[in-house]
Amino acid sequence: MTTKNKNNNRESFLNRVASSLGRERPYNVQRPDIKSMMPDSYGTLTGADLIDILKEQCFFIHTQLIESTPEILQQTLDDLIAANGGGSVITSGDSRFACYDLSFQGSTEWSEAAGREENISRSETANTVVVFADYVLAESGTIVVESRPDQGRALHFLPEHYIAIIERERIVLRSTQAAAALNRRIEAGEPVGSSINFISGPSNSADIEMQLVVGVHGPLRATYVLI
Amino acid sequence: MKVSIFSTCLVDLMTPSAGKAMVEVLERLGCELDFPASQVCCGQPTYNSGYLEDSKLAMKNMMLAFEHSDYVVGPSGSCIAMFHEYPKIFKGDPDWELKAVALKEKSYEFTQFIVRVLGITDVGARLEGTATYHRSCHMTRLLGEKETPYLLLEQVRGLQLEPLKNSDNCCGFGGTFSVKMPDISSQMVDEKCESVVETGADILISADMGCLLNIGGRLSRKGVPVKIMHIAEVLNHTGETAAAKGGIPS
Amino acid sequence: MSLKTDKREFGERTADGIGNTFMRSAVSSAQDSLKTRRLTAATALGDWEAWRLVGQTIRQHTLKNLDFYLNQLADNIEARGGHIYFAATKEEASSYIRDVVVSKQARKIVKSKSMVTEEIEMNKVLIEAGCDLIETDLGEYILQIDDWDPPSHIVAPALHKDRNQIKRVFTEKLGYTGDESPEKLARHARAVLRQKFLEADVGITGCNFAVANMGAINLVTNEGNGDLTAAIPKTQIAVMGMERIVPTMEEMEVLDNLLCRSAVGQKLTSYITVMGPKAPGESDGPDEFHLVVVDNGRSEILGSEFNEALQCIRCGACLNVCPIYRHIGGHAYGSIYPGPIGAVITPLLGGYDDYKELPFASSLCGACTDVCPVKIPLHEQLIMHRQNIVKEKRTGAADRFQMKAASRLLSSPSLFGKVLRLANPGSRMMSKHGRIVRGPGLIQGWVGVRDLNQPVKQADSFRTWMKERQGGTKQ
Repeated sequence: MTTKNKNNNRESFLNRVASSLGRERPYNVQRPDIKSMMPDSYGTLTGADLIDILKEQCFFIHTQLIESTPEILQQTLDDLIAANGGGSVITSGDSRFACYDLSFQGSTEWSEAAGREENISRSETANTVVVFADYVLAESGTIVVESRPDQGRALHFLPEHYIAIIERERIVLRSTQAAAALNRRIEAGEPVGSSINFISGPSNSADIEMQLVVGVHGPLRATYVLI
Repeated sequence: MKVSIFSTCLVDLMTPSAGKAMVEVLERLGCELDFPASQVCCGQPTYNSGYLEDSKLAMKNMMLAFEHSDYVVGPSGSCIAMFHEYPKIFKGDPDWELKAVALKEKSYEFTQFIVRVLGITDVGARLEGTATYHRSCHMTRLLGEKETPYLLLEQVRGLQLEPLKNSDNCCGFGGTFSVKMPDISSQMVDEKCESVVETGADILISADMGCLLNIGGRLSRKGVPVKIMHIAEVLNHTGETAAAKGGIPS
Repeated sequence: MSLKTDKREFGERTADGIGNTFMRSAVSSAQDSLKTRRLTAATALGDWEAWRLVGQTIRQHTLKNLDFYLNQLADNIEARGGHIYFAATKEEASSYIRDVVVSKQARKIVKSKSMVTEEIEMNKVLIEAGCDLIETDLGEYILQIDDWDPPSHIVAPALHKDRNQIKRVFTEKLGYTGDESPEKLARHARAVLRQKFLEADVGITGCNFAVANMGAINLVTNEGNGDLTAAIPKTQIAVMGMERIVPTMEEMEVLDNLLCRSAVGQKLTSYITVMGPKAPGESDGPDEFHLVVVDNGRSEILGSEFNEALQCIRCGACLNVCPIYRHIGGHAYGSIYPGPIGAVITPLLGGYDDYKELPFASSLCGACTDVCPVKIPLHEQLIMHRQNIVKEKRTGAADRFQMKAASRLLSSPSLFGKVLRLANPGSRMMSKHGRIVRGPGLIQGWVGVRDLNQPVKQADSFRTWMKERQGGTKQ
């Protein structure tokens, strides 16, 4: 095996690790079968069960869950944006915005063409960001989004209000399923975003007297819209 | 059932009443008791202080003392938990490993023995009063016995049991810790004393004499009139109505 | 900050902690509420014990094959266009980081929480190099502006401060004019730090777990500062202890669940991110990504009797249940790693010369071992430390004398018999009204705090009673 960077101490470091472990460096390692060890405490669940679990969890993570339909989605989002105090809106460049025929007054979009500074500045000045979730984890109330040319990292963190649109069929029970799906792609050599974000509600901190403060560096408020 | 009594050094030196009560209860429950006289101490004080090799002397003495016993029962979750550590300590020692395993397998803390081996939860005790129970860390976590004292106490007639706040927090005894780091230990026992007082109980019960001497000694120093009782003394208390044993539930 | 946070003796530090009533009430109320929250979140996972076993299996497997996974990680980081550097010592680690920063001609640095950067004294090195470095985790930021007060908890670093103290610091250092409500204080920090994020040249983060087959790092946070640190600056430097690695996201997911539930009682924290160098076409994230893997003494722990200590995922659950930590607080440990795990790893990383008291600052109640999500036998490791400290004759002649005498006594039936006979008369000189009032060494340690009756007279002892009872007086 060759190393690209000769000056990064890799070989000497790893040889020292091997010697601590009292053996030669291994060429291949079999991962333990953790799946068979993981307890399943839920049994069989229907889609409706998953939604119930998600709804309950949203309460604990200070996140409003609103049920909508593709037909009234535009109206739901407009209402939410107005409730957030209006202001400017930024969206990802997700093609689903077109599919659902969504548009917002005076909104901007994260786009490859805009470049780093412009995208960050658009996100920083936006009051509300709207994105689509790739996966949704019912148990923890988590949405999973991946960075792409049309969906940056800072998009999820700079605006004050965060809205994620959840399509029912994307709800899975927990992080186990999402991690397995993502890992399948990785093992198959498919490209994945440079940042995979598991987001569960708004930002928060308990660093002052262990008292929960909702809204620190990231969004102050999060809303999920279920369609 | 033949049972060897493991008195523990604290009972030998300080609190004979707990040992006597244990013996009387076990006899009443039909056990045939013996007392191997060469027993001394489980070795925990020196083992927990880091003196491994020196402690092995005490441990070996105990393995020999109880070599021919069917069951070994002691009034201390902590000392029995120490017996349960012997196999780990003597692992790979050809002369002692099997003896260590044998001792572990036949050793029980007093309440554990009554419930898990004899299958009894009502020993016919009666004690009028309000009490709270201190669970010892070694008994609950190292020995893994969380239930049997409660199961037995629930059946004691006349006894009102109040829950103890933060019952899973250590009382600050910790063997030599209590004397080597008295400043920290005293803070821990003070909080425990406050929790005991908060319950409004007249009696503090535990299954470990070390904790009881610690909390009791501090309560006494502070002039708090809470009586301490080993659980064996509670279970041995049949009161005025001893004759009606197993009779009228109150 | 380095590993060592206080030059004073253990006794002095402890006395300071015990005397700090605000800190103690903050710690005990935090412990009490976290205990319940952790338990609820753990119970919600279903069979917690089974999950702990999975966690332990993953950690042990990874440690056993650490060189393999680090190698795989390095290949994948480099394949994604990132840099990875292996630092044997803290000096190597912090100079590499300084060199990267200098080569970028960077001055403004934002940083998210990382214990290992404290361990390698990175802040000091960068500040000396003229950098404007800002801690962006709210707790760490509070400590920084309070003239780098040391952290006292590995998850909630400013746990020892109350809102009024924090308000005072904000007023003095930031010109804050609001009141002491945590929400307002946090909003103010948000506004100040938002600007710092936007201006930063370099972002420095820790790493909860590196994911070997992805060439990525995993950050587990709540505030959102970690993600901004990795999104906005053009250069990111991530620093990890060499043991903090998982094979794939599948193992990461299990450990993240154990971590979040154990640390703060959340099912998952608000932000769990798997990140690496910016991919082609993406606009933000680091153009230049460096991962620094730190040994700094860990390879000596690996494969040793303390190997299991490296399983630690830094959740802090052992601190949150520790009755010692409860009363002395984090600073008394004199290390950036306090509590039970600190008492185990600090002497390993910092040596017995400075830290030989820590393993003895435990009643061995086992609460830490019980709560550890990856099943580190913490209290047993403390006993192992004690054994080493005794072997190296560091406990003092008096202790050795007492313990050797005790072990002779406790293993000899005849000697013990003599003591039973003599204990009561022998203690008369030290006693008043049947109670011991003073005594040498360890006895004083007891009676200084608690009452102690004189040992029983032989005639009244359990053994005498038992002998008589068995000698035919049975009713």
